[in-house]
Amino acid sequence: MKILVIAEKELKEYILKPGSISWGIIFPLVFTLAFAVRFGDVDHLAPGLMSISILFGTTSFVSSSIIFERRLRTFERLLVAPVKRVEIVGAKILVGTLFGLFVGAVSFLILRLFMAYRVWNPLLLITFMFVSGTAFSGLALWVSLRVENPINAMTWLNLIRLPMIFTSGAIVSLLLFPHWFIVVGLITPMTYAVDGMRYAMLGYYDVINPIYDLLVTVLLSMLFTYLSVEELRRLY
Amino acid sequence: MEEGAVVAEGLTKRYGDFTAVDGINLTVKRGEIYGLLGPNGAGKTTTVRMLTTLTQITSGNAWVNGYSVREEPLLVKRSIGLVPDVSNLYDELTVEENLLFAARLYNAPIERVRELIREFDLPANKKFGKLSSGFKRRTTIAAALVHRPEVLFMDEPTTALDVSSARNVRNLIRLLNKEGITVFITTHNMIDAESLPHRIGIIKEGKIIAEGKGRELKELMGKGMVVKLLVEPITSKLINEIEAYSPTFDEGFIVVTVEDVDEFLEELFDLKMRLGFKVKRISTELPTIEDVFVELTERNGCSCGGCPL
Repeated sequence: MKILVIAEKELKEYILKPGSISWGIIFPLVFTLAFAVRFGDVDHLAPGLMSISILFGTTSFVSSSIIFERRLRTFERLLVAPVKRVEIVGAKILVGTLFGLFVGAVSFLILRLFMAYRVWNPLLLITFMFVSGTAFSGLALWVSLRVENPINAMTWLNLIRLPMIFTSGAIVSLLLFPHWFIVVGLITPMTYAVDGMRYAMLGYYDVINPIYDLLVTVLLSMLFTYLSVEELRRLY
Repeated sequence: MEEGAVVAEGLTKRYGDFTAVDGINLTVKRGEIYGLLGPNGAGKTTTVRMLTTLTQITSGNAWVNGYSVREEPLLVKRSIGLVPDVSNLYDELTVEENLLFAARLYNAPIERVRELIREFDLPANKKFGKLSSGFKRRTTIAAALVHRPEVLFMDEPTTALDVSSARNVRNLIRLLNKEGITVFITTHNMIDAESLPHRIGIIKEGKIIAEGKGRELKELMGKGMVVKLLVEPITSKLINEIEAYSPTFDEGFIVVTVEDVDEFLEELFDLKMRLGFKVKRISTELPTIEDVFVELTERNGCSCGGCPL
């Protein structure tokens, strides 16, 4: 399986890159810790904070690898090898997801210390963490391939992911906003991850039925995978 | 399309209005070293990128080992190795890990990695990022050979190498070729161009303007000799007077190609008397590939970068 061969190389090469560490590990975990310490009882906040951790973990890792590979032209090693574009994209998304799951899991362990209730459905939580990770990794890959100068990829990603913290209801529930803002929430990819994880952890949801959360997140994963493959085709 | 190891027919690459490669036709025979020689921006790298499937072809087509670059890119990729102009392996992986990764991508046996490490005398456990530029180059070449490709593409193989490393790489290329690998190199390095290829194509502004063996290309210069002059002062009047010889400039020397040296010297001394310049040095040489290259690529519109006027 070429996907696993590439994924293993990605982990070895990029796990300790500054972009992965600063934006992918330190930022989300400090963010989680700050909220946990400030509010104490974090049960309702936990799904949002975990989503943020997964978002930053996945996107930072994927973006970091693309920035380095395009700048140092190591990306061409993959393109000149007998590997299909979808395998390259699949490997990048897989390894970004694994990294995001790791950051999400550490975030969960921190939050667990401050939570009053047990997780309602652990298996569903892992499922949501995984599909959210693939959607976020796909988004990061597509954006990183789209930007002309790879060095700007992290800036463009921040333009997308920082507003999403607010518009997805990760920190403040969308139910507390006017009705029109819920529409903004519905067009934010992260909303479905937050809402789905809230259901898996607490047994209730804010806005969207969890079946739709799962469905939309899976569809987003497929969409970003497709867009990334097409972007690769356009670029090379 | 089985004739050559590499065949291009009307190979063209356009970026918007700009044509980087303009309808190239070429055939590289199996077992030869072919050199694509051209100034910066002439289209060498774009040509190699198209032939190795890295850049989409705008029009025309190419065949590598009989496989169509357009229709059978995966088969092309399986049968070629590419050494780009920058050594682009993974810094955080060791030499061995880099080669193992390449082997796994091509489903090559693991023993081949050990074989290459031994043959190329590589430091297996050293991280690629910590290697000298010479070793980086050798490792990059080794990685391109892990699956025993029939055709090896090398873009500027000796760029950024010191004299000794460049010589080692040239010896390595000859050795690989002796083992039966067809080698396609692009270069603007005249030592590479003079010493490596069996045949040379000279590319300018996306078109191949001359092609042949080194000797054949030198014959394009006629039966002439290259005369190098160091005179003081170089004036525009002097340049105008020898305009008919299409002079070029090389590190302060005026370089001209002449059919009859004796006749040129007579004319030169006549000019010396009239214009009053001093001849500091003068030498005559048989034309080199560099002379052919300069003659063909710089004649229409000086791009020598060293013109004193």
